[in-house]
Amino acid sequence: MSNEPIISLRNVTKRIGRKTVIDNLTFDVPQGEIFGFLGPNGAGKTTTIRMIVGLISITDGQILIKGNNIKTDFEEAIRHVGAIVENPEMYKYLSGYRNLVHYARMVPGVTKARIDEVVALVKLEDRIHDKVRKYSLGMRQRLGVAQALLHRPSLLILDEPTNGLDPEGIRELRDYLRYLTRVEGITVIVSSHLLSEMELMCDRVAILQRGKLVDVQPIDYFTHGSDTSQTYQIEVQMPEQAMAVIGQMKGIEELKRSEDGFIEVTAERELVPDILEELIKNHIRVYGVQRVRTSLEDKFLEITGGGQVV
Amino acid sequence: MYNLVLNENMKIYRRVRTWILIGLMAGFVILGNFVMWHEAKDASADDWQTQVTQEKENWNKQLQKTNLDEGLEKFYKERIAVIDYQLEHDIHPTQGTMWNGILESASLAMLITLLTIIIAGDIIASEFATGTIKLLLIRPASRLKILLSKYIAMLMFSFVLLLTLFIISFLLNGILFGFNHMGLPLIRLIDGQVVEQNMFLYLWKTYLLNGISTVMYITIAFMISSAFRSSAMAIAFSIGTLFAGNILLEVLRGYNWSKYLLFANTDLTQYLDNRPFQDGMTLSFSIGVLVVYFVVLNLISWLMFTRRDVAA
Repeated sequence: MSNEPIISLRNVTKRIGRKTVIDNLTFDVPQGEIFGFLGPNGAGKTTTIRMIVGLISITDGQILIKGNNIKTDFEEAIRHVGAIVENPEMYKYLSGYRNLVHYARMVPGVTKARIDEVVALVKLEDRIHDKVRKYSLGMRQRLGVAQALLHRPSLLILDEPTNGLDPEGIRELRDYLRYLTRVEGITVIVSSHLLSEMELMCDRVAILQRGKLVDVQPIDYFTHGSDTSQTYQIEVQMPEQAMAVIGQMKGIEELKRSEDGFIEVTAERELVPDILEELIKNHIRVYGVQRVRTSLEDKFLEITGGGQVV
Repeated sequence: MYNLVLNENMKIYRRVRTWILIGLMAGFVILGNFVMWHEAKDASADDWQTQVTQEKENWNKQLQKTNLDEGLEKFYKERIAVIDYQLEHDIHPTQGTMWNGILESASLAMLITLLTIIIAGDIIASEFATGTIKLLLIRPASRLKILLSKYIAMLMFSFVLLLTLFIISFLLNGILFGFNHMGLPLIRLIDGQVVEQNMFLYLWKTYLLNGISTVMYITIAFMISSAFRSSAMAIAFSIGTLFAGNILLEVLRGYNWSKYLLFANTDLTQYLDNRPFQDGMTLSFSIGVLVVYFVVLNLISWLMFTRRDVAA
């Protein structure tokens, strides 16, 4: 993989009237990465995405896709981009297949075989000749992914891709994005207001707040991945005895009683089943185990304004 | 560009709505021609020589009147000259042949304008209304090309309606009156001279002159569709101008500047028959005015479509 970024934003600013909607965004996304835009509703995620695909003009700064300026070399730049902006709105009176033919005609070199290939990829073979009007939301979302992938883009942009998808659909999409980045080397930009979704999907996350870039960090930074230790809250029948049992175990970094009577253990994730096993062996009844919110999550909530996240 | 037009055509002709409009066009032509045929059938008991002789006598009688309007007098004299020519050269008049219905049907070209406006008002606005514009504009095709492809598809649609009009009126009248007068020439009086003209050529000239006004109204509908991104507004406003335009002209006829209005110039047949809307207007004047309107309207469409953000 080359080090050349697939997309690079330089001091991108959008002003509407006197209001600055997007303020001085600068970041790069390298090849093969799943990059997340995280922020509450109205933070400017969709506006930024629309500027990247040329639907909205850029007031200041520039966006380069594979080195092509989206403003001055629109056709050359957009050739490498596949996108769903908000909902995948298709021509409802056409069949799914005709919709794909429509978009295939707009890019040179998309063959019939490629259309069939993409249809198979999103598992729509059985219904592709039905009118889109008859599709479920999940199927429309899949057709949306299909149209975005038709021309083998280097950069896939998905705006709130999990909106309206059931958990099964979300899981499918996630696996699918992994496949695209790992196997086909596609770069993906997704936006969401849900941290929980982002942590399962993204490699790196940019936090947007009121049009400003607050931070760009690997996702681990926000969520604490499986290899670092975290604090767990355990509710048991006999806290005193449980404390004694856990206290004898190796690898426990911290152990204390919380104010509301729970046990708080700080340890690596892999140790959690062992702790439970030990407790049960000692006939201590366990009612529940919960991961305590990390300080970083608190930080995230703080910077993004709370409530709407997680 | 070719592919873009293919796409627009696919979006037009794979909709039930479009075929209803074409069906409506066909329905009107069929209905109109049946009514005309029914009336003509009752009238044509005698052979045509007797009929035109009677008509000529009638006109001669009218000419005897003292307080005759100048325009009417001219019309009667023209008719008499044409009838004399027809009798002398044994040329069947259009009455009682397939050509009468076909020529009369040409006036249904107004319907083409009306039906095309419905599609033209919708073709840009609906992409915004349904949100499909977001997927349409993120392809390696400039907005200008997309706009142009829609415009071309519109012109093609109006041509499809014109062909519907021509083919149906031709076949239907042929079946009703018989095809035996297909080669009949059109007898007209031009500059005091009776001339024979090719009927097909005359028919298509009429069609194409009507087509100019169709193109102008498509352009208006297109501009509003692009500027306001609302189908309802584009369709209502364009049809409104189509009907109100002529009424407005009558009101404003007294003012000299009214000759610069679009509606005063869309009907170029006024020069074919030598009766311009205002004295001093010429064919080249009207063409000039039309070109200016055409350019300005399209410039607005283009600016509105290519420069504005898509935030829908």
